[in-house]
Amino acid sequence: MLSDPAVDPAAHEAQESAVQARVAELESRFGDPHDPANPLGTAGLLAADEAGELPAAGERLLDDLVLNAEFVPGEFGGRLDRLDSLARVMRQVFRRDVALGLGYGITSFMAAANVWTAGNEEQRRRLAELLLGGSKVSVAYHELAHGNDFVRNEFRADPVPGGFRLHGRKEVINNADRADAFALFSRTDDSPGSRSHSVLLAERDQLDQDRFKVLPRYSAVGVRGCKLSGLDFTDCPVPDSALVGARGQGVELALRSFQITRSAVPGMAIGALDTSLRTVVGFAVGRRLYRRSVMDIPHASATLTGAFLDLLTCDSLALVGTRAVHLLPDETSVYAAAVKYLVPKMLTDTMYDLSIVLGARFYIREGEFGIFQKHVRDLPVLSLGHAGSAACQATIIPQLSRLARRAWFSGDEAPQSLFRPRESLPGGIPFDRLALASGRDSLSASLVAAADDLPSGSPEELAVQGLVMRMLDELRQIQEDSLNLSPQDRTALASPASFALADRYAVFLAAASVLGVWRGARDGDDPFLADPAWVAAALHRLARRLGQRPADLPPGCEGRVHEEVLRRFHERRSYDLYDTPLAG
Amino acid sequence: MSVPATDPTANTEPTAESLSSWLADRIALYLQRSPSEIQPTVPLAEYGLDSVAALSLCGDIEEDFDLVLEPTVAWDYPTIEALAGHLVEELQSMEGGSR
Repeated sequence: MLSDPAVDPAAHEAQESAVQARVAELESRFGDPHDPANPLGTAGLLAADEAGELPAAGERLLDDLVLNAEFVPGEFGGRLDRLDSLARVMRQVFRRDVALGLGYGITSFMAAANVWTAGNEEQRRRLAELLLGGSKVSVAYHELAHGNDFVRNEFRADPVPGGFRLHGRKEVINNADRADAFALFSRTDDSPGSRSHSVLLAERDQLDQDRFKVLPRYSAVGVRGCKLSGLDFTDCPVPDSALVGARGQGVELALRSFQITRSAVPGMAIGALDTSLRTVVGFAVGRRLYRRSVMDIPHASATLTGAFLDLLTCDSLALVGTRAVHLLPDETSVYAAAVKYLVPKMLTDTMYDLSIVLGARFYIREGEFGIFQKHVRDLPVLSLGHAGSAACQATIIPQLSRLARRAWFSGDEAPQSLFRPRESLPGGIPFDRLALASGRDSLSASLVAAADDLPSGSPEELAVQGLVMRMLDELRQIQEDSLNLSPQDRTALASPASFALADRYAVFLAAASVLGVWRGARDGDDPFLADPAWVAAALHRLARRLGQRPADLPPGCEGRVHEEVLRRFHERRSYDLYDTPLAG
Repeated sequence: MSVPATDPTANTEPTAESLSSWLADRIALYLQRSPSEIQPTVPLAEYGLDSVAALSLCGDIEEDFDLVLEPTVAWDYPTIEALAGHLVEELQSMEGGSR
């Protein structure tokens, strides 16, 4: 490839400035969040949430910007070339309103991922046409009775001459009332097992209107603007051309396309934590208690610093997850599951920590800090849906013993580019190269390889070195425990110990990601990311999450991170790896 | 990974019968049943072998027979008989390829 952007600086610049421009445009069009007259400011978004509606001005804005183009690959006329860029652009929407990000767009992206992965040329072209024309597409996997055990799904697409007949219900489906097409996960064979389901893409207009109905809307705790309802089909015919991929390939297709959405969606939601952290920092610098500002109270200040570190950790893991799709597609099944398991969990935990600093104001649904409780209610939706936390752990569990035998402490490290937020990637998402399981783990290998090659000049660098050694011990322990898993502990009905092992491994992968991002930034132009202070403090938090008792950080380490919390607040810059200018 | 010439498994060529009995023993562990309860022609999913266990089984086969398999192999060959037959073919083609 002559113009491979990974080696061509001009192409690299062009990719980066195109993404920056999209991020900046969204931010400026959403406008000042604190302006009460701005319908897309906090007050307007809270009013829409109270009314149980998506903000109309937000939907108009995203229509106007053709946000759906972010979900359509470049070859079909859209802007979907890189998954990390998709997460970065969508983060601007989630920063304001999780319901809008999900209800306007991500539902359609989740449906589309199936078609980009396995659809034929005609289906992909048609879906691109629908999306670029502003249509919504629903992803209809879920049946309440079966949760994430979708291999037991009952919704039927019975093969008949010339096509299929749809029968049954799909429940808690976003946009079922207004989508122009549905991606339906359907049973096409009575046999038990994983070759009895298929994905069908049905267009609303082409269905017999008397043979399906939209079920009543659910009232939810969070994302109250999202139109969650369901579909009920009664012997409704669809043509053969609705079948996405081969018949019986549904489970495999789901497990492939989930890798795309599991990698990308948690990184989007980091925007909601960013706003929440900013909201609480604003409270802490403004409010006075015990004759000092809340920010001068050590517990409050440490909580905010910790929340910032958690956000950077989540972003590091999400970055690696999205870039792995491009750079390590055969290893992505594990990384995507780790991202989808750990990032939503950490975001929710961190919101709880922040709520303690905000105190009683966390309980108030309006006013200056009202957006916080909205994000608290909205964020848990990420762990629900068709890839819940336990389902993600269950993706990791059967791979642990194989990784323990073949991969850990022996494989090659990942390319440096995996960890570099702004570095260009070879264009296009390799949907066809995602593997259901892998015997390699280059991300872990990067931490193992780095251990011999870490600087040890400053106290912060020495702290990083010590913490990396502890992480190596952790990987050894995970390896030993993985080799000792009994067969029944490598099934969906595994004991809690297997799930705990998957948790520890996900935390280890987060540590490897954080370390990789710092190493990748050391020769870069972001002085904060290049500084060992943040990586030492982030690894320290992860070590404690693993139950370790690491030595105290050197003095000044947390202070450096705390300074950055304040700088980004006062200069209106985002708290993620991108340090992006914000409208407020 | 290459199998050393002195490896005892290199001398005893696995047959469909020996593979079937190996599979029944292994699957019995996943299902916590006795191997004799598992009929060679009944789909393993009928016994409740879930997709997570199927993937784990695939890893076990790879490890014990030094094969690289598609992770979906237990879906496409859903009974002990079908799986054993497929493994015999895979082992033979590997044998042929290495000569």
